[in-house]
Amino acid sequence: MKNQSFLAASAVVLLGASPAFANDAEIDALRAELAAMRVMYESKIDGLESRLAEMEARQVESASRVEPAAGNTAPGVPATGNRRVTDNSFNPAIGVMLQGKYKAFSENEADLAGFAVGHEGERGEEGLSVEHTELNFSASVDDKFYGSTTIALAEHHGETEVELEEAFIQTLALPYGASLKGGRFFADIGYLNAHHAHSDDFADRPLPYRAFLNGAYNDDGLQASVILPSDLYAEVGAGLFRGKDFPAGGNEGSDVGSWTAFARTGGDIGDNTAWRAGASALLADVQSRAANEGNITFRGDSDLYIADVRLTFAPTGNANRQELILQGEYFWRDENGAYNDVAFDESQRGWYAQTVYKFAPQWRVGARYSELHADAVPAGLAGTALDDGGHDPWAATVMGDWTNSEFSRLRLQYSYEELANELEDNQLTIQYIMSIGAHGAHPF
Amino acid sequence: MRTWKILMAGLGLLSAAPSPALAKVHVFACAPEWGALAEEIGGVHVEVFVATTARQDVHHVRAKPSLLVAMRKADLVVCSGAALESGWLPILLKKAGGPDVQPATAGYLMASDFVPLIGARKEADRSLGHIHPEGNPHVHLNPNNLLPVARVLAERLLILDPDNLEDYSGSFKRFETGWMALVASWKEAAAGLEGAKVVVYHDAWAYLLDWLGIEKIASLEPKPGLPPTASHLEAVLQAVDGRDVRAILVAPYEDGKAADWLSGRTGIPVLRLPYTVGGSEDANDIESLFAETMEMLKGVR
Repeated sequence: MKNQSFLAASAVVLLGASPAFANDAEIDALRAELAAMRVMYESKIDGLESRLAEMEARQVESASRVEPAAGNTAPGVPATGNRRVTDNSFNPAIGVMLQGKYKAFSENEADLAGFAVGHEGERGEEGLSVEHTELNFSASVDDKFYGSTTIALAEHHGETEVELEEAFIQTLALPYGASLKGGRFFADIGYLNAHHAHSDDFADRPLPYRAFLNGAYNDDGLQASVILPSDLYAEVGAGLFRGKDFPAGGNEGSDVGSWTAFARTGGDIGDNTAWRAGASALLADVQSRAANEGNITFRGDSDLYIADVRLTFAPTGNANRQELILQGEYFWRDENGAYNDVAFDESQRGWYAQTVYKFAPQWRVGARYSELHADAVPAGLAGTALDDGGHDPWAATVMGDWTNSEFSRLRLQYSYEELANELEDNQLTIQYIMSIGAHGAHPF
Repeated sequence: MRTWKILMAGLGLLSAAPSPALAKVHVFACAPEWGALAEEIGGVHVEVFVATTARQDVHHVRAKPSLLVAMRKADLVVCSGAALESGWLPILLKKAGGPDVQPATAGYLMASDFVPLIGARKEADRSLGHIHPEGNPHVHLNPNNLLPVARVLAERLLILDPDNLEDYSGSFKRFETGWMALVASWKEAAAGLEGAKVVVYHDAWAYLLDWLGIEKIASLEPKPGLPPTASHLEAVLQAVDGRDVRAILVAPYEDGKAADWLSGRTGIPVLRLPYTVGGSEDANDIESLFAETMEMLKGVR
């Protein structure tokens, strides 16, 4: 603390109106003190408030000194350091995401040929619904940790369920670009997985996300990542999880049930274009994974590998007026175990590609194609949902949306899906996504 | 069990990595004006990365990979604050910022924390559009505001890099002396502007107008952050009618269509002021930004 006030005092002397350079010895002494300061960043933090108060006093003085005749800036308006308002003046920041949909389908069935899907991977219900309502609370816990939780109220078959989507803490103060995250959260695999569905560019997730990740993989665990000190963006990370969420499942013991790893790179091409590419893996030791309403159970190793790429283009880099986004992901899953006690050692694949074009500040249109492929199944599984009957599921989607402000969006979407033999599903979705309260920034 | 050990060992290695020598102070500036000011004070001792250009709207920037890389290296983050960068800066800080650039450290400098803000509101409701309850964040366009920010910048630089403290205090004093004279001369030359009326696209000019005593009659945006609508433009047309409005001010990153429409109807000239460093060909540092702005504003008289 003594160093602190000495520093503040010397700053005043050095930068103040009256020059006070006395002699070399004094400067050397000052320099020694300042050098000591350099390593004491903690004292910087707790000393800052008093420094700010001091600055406050001086600014009022200097503002009036610079322009004594200024009639426009009210004299005595405090220039304070206490205006550090981020999301809102509340602590924690509280946000509510309101989402509603109207959906109409031309087919009654929507099974994915060759795949057993979880609850969130189904196509959803027809008619009017509010689907997911998300409550988010987040704030810095202290100078070293950040905490956030998202609670979703979801409608499933006429009942309101409470889901803990996320509840995690994250380090803020690790050096060398390192970060640790613990709790329940959306794992950093693929592109869409780590993003909340409300920021998606389409009303539903593409087929590979529905088939391989049941919408998204969020599980209880720990993830470490580090941004490498290179000029080109490069980040690597790994996580370990309980192994409870699809595609893992049923892990009750003390063992780690699933592991993730990811590597990403990206950069700019001139002022107009930014890109990101990544590769990731989710390796799950599945104790018991129920799918298709509990009719199909998998046990064994389920290893999923994802490659993702995203590119944004905006004239002069000004995405506020016009922007083109290209995005795609490729999935490959290798499973070795047993489906309904029938030995299984096969792989499945899937991919999607999409583009979204913002042609005016509030208007966007988009198109997406997604496709899945499952290898032939063992004889014991013939005729089940895992038997694709020679059909590869595919879906084509177009959408248009209107964004009044960054807090509200209305969307109209049409999909044509051939998910199994003789299924030709026409789907219409009307959707709103609105945010009240604090709303955090979205990652790239 | 083994996984845990491996992970912990890995983390131990990471945290034991040697600290790189601080050759230059890496400054991450959210916008060109703060980058230019950091160059002015830091001189050869700083390496400045500017996250945006004059052609980009600082309200809406993506937290893209290149910004993560720059934040990863940053020793000092200089931005406007007052929530201007709230759509992207928090992500960068959380994801890539080191412990010494987080809020409430010497490496985190928000200009709006050190100048009197105008337009602060006690009550805020989003039906009012994209407003900043803290006050208008476009603080750099009143040149008087640059002095306290330059002073804090110098203080932060000498905390971060005490080896060069004479240089920082020297360049601040030079800047202070020169700047006070310049500001006085600009103000004197602009005496005739006092009371002039203008239309703006967005309230990005509030501090400039406040400094010069220019009156804003209307904004082309119906509400802050929302693009102009036909009905609102009709209302603006009514509002300017017969009121001797001298100019329509548009920033380099803003859409000029609405301004051109109003200009075509009324004959009021559209002025595309540089807004920030790099906003016009000649505005290539802090001084020329204002020199250019004042030169262009002469037409308003």
